[in-house]
Amino acid sequence: MNATILLWQKQMKKALVHPEEIVGMLIQPILWVILFGVGMRSLMGTTTPNSGNDYMTFVVPGIVALTAVSAAIAGGSTWLNERLIGIVKEYLAAPIPRLSILMGNASSIVTKVLIQSVIILIVGLLMGATLSSNPLGWLGGLLLIAGYGIGFSGFALAVASSTDSSEGYHMMIFLLQLPLLFLSNSLYPLQTLPAWMRIGAYANPTTYVVTGLRQITLGAAPTMGPLANIPLWLCFLIAGVFAAFGMNLALRAFKAAIK
Amino acid sequence: MNTNGMAISTRGLVKRFDEEVLAVDSIDLSIPVNTIYALLGPNGAGKTTTVSMLTTLVEPTSGQAQISGLDVVQQADKVRQRIGVTFQEIVLDPDLTGRESLDFHARLYGIGKAERLAKIDELLKLVELDEAADRRTNTYSGGMKRRLELARGLITSPEVLFLDEPTQGLDPQNRTNIWQYIRNLKADTNMTLLLTTHYMDEAEALADRVGIMDQGKIVVEGTPAELVDQMGSDNIRVVGRGNSDAFCEKVKTLSNVETVNKSNGIIQVGVDSGNRRLVEIVEMANDSGFGIEDISVSKPSLGDVFLKYTGRQLRDI
Repeated sequence: MNATILLWQKQMKKALVHPEEIVGMLIQPILWVILFGVGMRSLMGTTTPNSGNDYMTFVVPGIVALTAVSAAIAGGSTWLNERLIGIVKEYLAAPIPRLSILMGNASSIVTKVLIQSVIILIVGLLMGATLSSNPLGWLGGLLLIAGYGIGFSGFALAVASSTDSSEGYHMMIFLLQLPLLFLSNSLYPLQTLPAWMRIGAYANPTTYVVTGLRQITLGAAPTMGPLANIPLWLCFLIAGVFAAFGMNLALRAFKAAIK
Repeated sequence: MNTNGMAISTRGLVKRFDEEVLAVDSIDLSIPVNTIYALLGPNGAGKTTTVSMLTTLVEPTSGQAQISGLDVVQQADKVRQRIGVTFQEIVLDPDLTGRESLDFHARLYGIGKAERLAKIDELLKLVELDEAADRRTNTYSGGMKRRLELARGLITSPEVLFLDEPTQGLDPQNRTNIWQYIRNLKADTNMTLLLTTHYMDEAEALADRVGIMDQGKIVVEGTPAELVDQMGSDNIRVVGRGNSDAFCEKVKTLSNVETVNKSNGIIQVGVDSGNRRLVEIVEMANDSGFGIEDISVSKPSLGDVFLKYTGRQLRDI
């Protein structure tokens, strides 16, 4: 546990050394909400009258998921870099659990994601989204995001542990990222999707995390149709399982790499 | 396996990568406490892989290795607490300052704050980096980075310190500095040091014992003096054309010739005095119809020992 905190601190300190990284991290979610959210809202407004602010409310969780995925990809890239330079050897020779090395990385990624998520929610509010009036719902939402962030960080760290090429890493991650984001209800309602995509969306953890966020963190968006028929407990369960699965995958890949 | 106070001991240590690459081919080491041991060999000899196994970074394919009597696989965590290591490549985080690098490392080993701060100051002074301590390591020169890594390896007060090519890429002044730190460590502490190098002068200057390594095997082991002495007092190297076997046989009959080796076309003759025997050997060559193309006299070095046992010249690699 101590080693996890220590590695978390190191990663956070490394981020603070580069102001451009911080600035980018803060501005990126704002751009997503304004450019993507507002643009899509206008489109929705022309097809479904009066749905404008409803769409903004609807899409904010999707943008959170998207941001979490980008942060995890960046984190995996940092890890790959540390592996290639050899910095990871310093951790490996130290008397600390192998899992804590990965958890330190994943937790620093999630910290960035949570900060970005709060920004997205605030900017979303300014752009017309409605938020749940229950602060517990906000906390629950952050929990869902954390689980999702850890899970996808695990995937990214696993891929970054199994390849020695930056190009290979980005190509593999791209293949994972696309279905995870677009084969879900993050950017469009489930009921508008063809049946095969809907089945895919139900098999995708993103759907559960985004749906959970819509249920407890944001306000109602009646013109976007009924929420996916998923109980809240299942959303939390899937977020937790996804987190555990991702980290387990990362640990296996990492251990295989040092055999 | 009985370790008998050995700091490092291995038996039949093997590392195979994939099917065909045999990086380390059954190594037996017994290194007593407070020894400086040098693994000398060309790049690709298996030195780094050996160190990686001893420092728990990779698991052996077969065989055993113990550090202070602890098994590197079964008791890896305990081994990690007792060793320090500097790697062949410089592995400093460019975003941290020198002081932060040391502090982070000490915390990885769970060293408390008071001890940490005292140790960091002490070591920064030792390696003469106290003035640069608060600069990020990406502003350091190669020599400064090596010195910081040495300090990092020492901060946990290890029983056994592994130094993989500690002076690679350094200028002579920095090399001599590092050598002095290493000698002082042995004199002032009870530490055992295992270093790898492909510089024979480094092994000669530092090591109590040298293991010459080639193609995954330790081909010969001993103190630098023992190894060099077996080459004779002076070493005459002859390269030429003709019946070299007949020539060698004749040279052996000369008085004051101590050893004759031929490997890979180079004849090494160990004699009591190189300058005096040179003429005799040249005459002997003329008599036996052996055409000398190159002949040189030198004090024997570990490089000559390497040539004798591997048939290759260390400096060529």
